[in-house]
Amino acid sequence: MFWLPILTAAEAAERKRWWVAGWPHSLANRTLLTLLVGLVVVQAAGLTIHALDRIELQRFAELRDVGIRSMSIYRSAVATSVGERAAALKEMDLGPGVAAGIADAPPVAPELTSPPYVGQIRVNMQLVPVRGPNRPRTVEIRGAPWSDMIVVAMQFPDQGWLILHIPLPRPRPWHSPTFLLAFVLMTVAAAILSFWAVRRLTGPVGLLAEAAERLGRDVNAPPLPERGPDEVIRAAVAFNTMAARIRRFVQDRTFLLTAIGHDLRTPITRLKLRAEFIDDDEQRQKFMADLDELDAMVSATLVFGRDTADTEPAVAFDLVALLRTVLDDCADARPDSADALSFTGPAHLTVTGRILALKRSFANLVGNAVKYGDAARMTLSVSEGMATVVIEDNGPGLPPDELERIFEPFYRVEDSRNRETGGTGLGLPIARNILRAHGGDVVLGNRAGGGARAVVTIPT
Amino acid sequence: MPHILIVDDDREIRELLARFLERNRFRVTAVRDGREARRHWPLGHYQLVVLDLMLPGESGLDVARWLRTQSDIPIVMLTAMGEETDRIIGLELGADDYVPKPFNPRELLARIRAVLRRTSERAEKLVEPAAKAVRFSGWTLEPSRRRLLNPDGVEVALTGGEYDLLVALVERANRVLTRDMLLDLLRGRQAGPFDRAIDVAISRLRRKLEDDGRHAQLIKTVRGGGYVLAADIDRS
Repeated sequence: MFWLPILTAAEAAERKRWWVAGWPHSLANRTLLTLLVGLVVVQAAGLTIHALDRIELQRFAELRDVGIRSMSIYRSAVATSVGERAAALKEMDLGPGVAAGIADAPPVAPELTSPPYVGQIRVNMQLVPVRGPNRPRTVEIRGAPWSDMIVVAMQFPDQGWLILHIPLPRPRPWHSPTFLLAFVLMTVAAAILSFWAVRRLTGPVGLLAEAAERLGRDVNAPPLPERGPDEVIRAAVAFNTMAARIRRFVQDRTFLLTAIGHDLRTPITRLKLRAEFIDDDEQRQKFMADLDELDAMVSATLVFGRDTADTEPAVAFDLVALLRTVLDDCADARPDSADALSFTGPAHLTVTGRILALKRSFANLVGNAVKYGDAARMTLSVSEGMATVVIEDNGPGLPPDELERIFEPFYRVEDSRNRETGGTGLGLPIARNILRAHGGDVVLGNRAGGGARAVVTIPT
Repeated sequence: MPHILIVDDDREIRELLARFLERNRFRVTAVRDGREARRHWPLGHYQLVVLDLMLPGESGLDVARWLRTQSDIPIVMLTAMGEETDRIIGLELGADDYVPKPFNPRELLARIRAVLRRTSERAEKLVEPAAKAVRFSGWTLEPSRRRLLNPDGVEVALTGGEYDLLVALVERANRVLTRDMLLDLLRGRQAGPFDRAIDVAISRLRRKLEDDGRHAQLIKTVRGGGYVLAADIDRS
């Protein structure tokens, strides 16, 4: 059985608003979505911190390399004579991407403004020993911050400047083969864990809804298992207590109705016997008709009050035979309307259900059709696991606003005609109760050509 | 004059029913409960018992059980209003028929007559009401639950008249049933003219037994005689 949530108008309107369009409807999915969004945010923050750290570290190593490299080149260059320096630089292995040249003045380039970087390079230059007189007179470090090229200009003690263009590789914070894999694994594991935990946490809510649904159909449905976390146990205990109270209430009511029924049937039986001693035939027949009506009302009240589900077992039976039997019974009871009764449909259809209860349900519907509409044309069709029985009559039909209200117990259509025809006011509620207990339903409508139409559905 | 024993706890019902049945040419003894029934049992030679199911103290079912140990006297049970389970239990215990209370006196009379006719006519009771199942041509008749199952084990609903008719046909399988006999069975059940009712009931029964009316194999028409159920009966 599917459980469809019933929405109030306000809830339905909220669902239409755009900003809630993506918000899932189930508690489980909402919790899961919240957890996953949180997980993504936390992961993103962690990754950013990690990336910044790595960039810092890589920079540090690169600057150290720049300092040592430039001083090493300078030391080799200063050792040669002024005239041979350019040629010597060309012979030197400078390192990948490094360009070196001799100039008379430092290059016109913006000074590297980031002091910690400049300090780093200068400190690292000290690591390469150069004899006192050979030390550069001035060292200038230029280049835009975060640009990929640093310019180091060093003034020889005798003459000219050594100009070095050293590439600074872009930082690659993600450059680690295991990093991405670890990240994906972590995310997936956390997501799976969240999914599992959410299912576990919200599962009891679904169970509670199912149990409430079962209780609505069958008051003797088995109780909820009282286990799990404390809150779930408390909810289950509360639910079971409620179910027990409802059960007791239903039992009390059933007992009361059965007692009333028993007490009434004795005087009605006596009256029916007494009627046999009335000599006036016409009066006797009228007397008997009144008693039959009284009898029918008491029986209907009893049937309505009693939960028939607890006494009759469900069996497999031929629905077509049942429908024909109902029509035949009706034809026997009202021989004058026999020609207005018809059945159209397959020759057989096996369904499972409580045969006597369903027979009563259909008998009530056919009885109504004949009583108020002088005919009962029955059509049976089957599609997608549902059998549909349509019962049409030739009556005046019903006002549209009465179509649902007529299923209320003791409700009567405001029409003087109906008062004369009698009835218990319980036939339709009983029929609907029985059908709904079988997972089906009955609705009333009006035919286009006039007359009422009852549409019954039963799962096959 | 057939002698009937009435067991009912309500004094007025007892007296009225006794008067009504006496007026219809029965001899009646009416008692109020199982104890009195036991006391009156050896005093008369009864042909039928009308037994109320709901008795104070010892229930009608207990009384029926006791009666069954004494003889196979036909029992008509008066059951509670619409209590289908009581009805079924009553039939399982061997009641021959049931009438729900509050009953129509004329219907009760018709049932009493039908039961008496049935039991007096038959030498051997083939379809015991307590029998678990009777099989014929793949179909299963369960008298204890008053129901018919088709060869697939699916229950096929029958009207009260159809059921009685089928029981009569099965009890006398391969023997011709006269129209008069069948008329008696349906009396009290039908509101319409009786002669037509037989043909209608037979055609309905044939349809439910999937027996083609024009080339009937199961329920055959005997020209000028009546009907016969042509099938081997397997009692179990």
